[in-house]
Amino acid sequence: MKAIRQLRFACSSAWQNFWRNLAVSVAAVVSIALILVLAGTGLLLGHAFGQVLDSYRHRVSVVTVSVADRTPLASVYDFEAQLQARPEVVGVRFVTKDEELRSFSSDPRNRQLIDQIDGNPVPAKIEVRVAHLDDVKRIDALARQWRGADRTDPTDYQGDVVTNMLRLSTWLTIGGLAMLAVLTVASAVIVMNTIRTAVYHRRDEIELMKLVGATEWFVRGPFLVEGVMTGVIAASLAIGLLLAAYRPFVERFQAELFFLPLSYDPRFVHVLGQDLLVAGAALGAVGSYVGVRRFVRL
Amino acid sequence: MLVAPAFDSRPIISFQRVWKTYPNGTDALRDISLTVPNGDFLFLVGASGAGKSSLVRLLIREEKPSSGRLVVDGHDLGRLPRRHLPHFRRTVGLVFQDFKLLPRMTVRENVEFALQAVGEAGAVIADRAGDALETVGLAGKERSYPRELSGGEQQRVAIARALVHQPRLFVADEPTGNLDPATAWEIMELLLDINAAGVTIVMATHNREIVDATRRRVVALERGQIVRDIRSGTYDEGNSSAAVRLQ
Repeated sequence: MKAIRQLRFACSSAWQNFWRNLAVSVAAVVSIALILVLAGTGLLLGHAFGQVLDSYRHRVSVVTVSVADRTPLASVYDFEAQLQARPEVVGVRFVTKDEELRSFSSDPRNRQLIDQIDGNPVPAKIEVRVAHLDDVKRIDALARQWRGADRTDPTDYQGDVVTNMLRLSTWLTIGGLAMLAVLTVASAVIVMNTIRTAVYHRRDEIELMKLVGATEWFVRGPFLVEGVMTGVIAASLAIGLLLAAYRPFVERFQAELFFLPLSYDPRFVHVLGQDLLVAGAALGAVGSYVGVRRFVRL
Repeated sequence: MLVAPAFDSRPIISFQRVWKTYPNGTDALRDISLTVPNGDFLFLVGASGAGKSSLVRLLIREEKPSSGRLVVDGHDLGRLPRRHLPHFRRTVGLVFQDFKLLPRMTVRENVEFALQAVGEAGAVIADRAGDALETVGLAGKERSYPRELSGGEQQRVAIARALVHQPRLFVADEPTGNLDPATAWEIMELLLDINAAGVTIVMATHNREIVDATRRRVVALERGQIVRDIRSGTYDEGNSSAAVRLQ
């Protein structure tokens, strides 16, 4: 019962204080909302890039080994078994010359070329799917050593693309984390300063509470609630802004850069909303916790 | 309504060779030894800077002694853990020269605030606040704001606020300092009533007339030291040979 009374007191005091220092509260809400919009934008861009990257990753995680004509089928099967035995390989598929020709012919862009040639010029292939992009290079090296590989164009491995993609992905992750850390610290400092102002405005009340025997956490409670409240209001504002901008952004992107596989993802919007609310509340709590520990002592 | 606290023969305050030295090296209190029995009324007198306020701050544990031992109502204040501080402060009623009322709260809310701040239940808060306001004679002014009251009435509100915890010890720092002589006497009579109900009172004051007229125990401080401790004393003891040294 006492805890409930204390919580009620903390909530009503926090609410009163939020409105009493409206200018400071609004400034804090807007600042944190902008920071959360930045963080949210980062997450949305990260998600969009992730979608594009996944699509490419799916494509480049398959190494296609061209099989030289006249390679004995036994040698092909032997190499296929050798590949399947490797832990980094998740799938191997042999495509005969006929199958490959059918596939090649089915593409309308190749129709004219097919009409002009006799026989079957396309080689048989072995498609090797690997678990991680890093493994592609090893499979490529192995394929190049295999005697049955076509000497002119043994694999379709594009070393630079994979390497660059991995490098870009790593740098984006590092950059995103660094930006998130800076934004987190900035938000916490803003909340802390809001609490400092609130503590200053209520110094008489705080002094009195201490003198009449209020516990330290009873005095601190309203400020903690106020911090969380500020964070949650800011997060709600940020979510509203991001939701309003996300769909038009994707539509514009799809219209301008149609070759990139980016689409509106309603599930991610849900996740983003939850994450930002939790982040807002957590930032408010952390900032106000540090603030009250520093400025409210018995 | 005043409730007399349970009788306890132990001294409620015991200073044992207490020193208070501030970080700048100033000795605010020097080798203070003082015992205050339960139910006593004690005036702390002395010029500004003599150490009265430092002594009051030690009594309410706003400051810790630099050395020596200070025991108040069974609590060794030099060793009192921070988590026990709120509970200690609930046993001490505090009254200040500047009243320390919250201007945006009514008289009743100011008094109730002291109980809200320690998480008391609503019914207890209402009962005790009502009793305390009746005791100080402000039952009809519960909805007034401090700015609508005279200085004397504001000090009564502060006394009511100190009474709601039913303290065993009352510490009053210049409670009549901002009041005219007639109002000061009204406040003094109220404090004497509280003392008559068994509450120990320590009152720091510059009010010569009140000290001289009431003839209670007087402890005089000078440059951080006790220079006089007289059972029925006056503000300035002209004839020091008549003084009864208690320590």
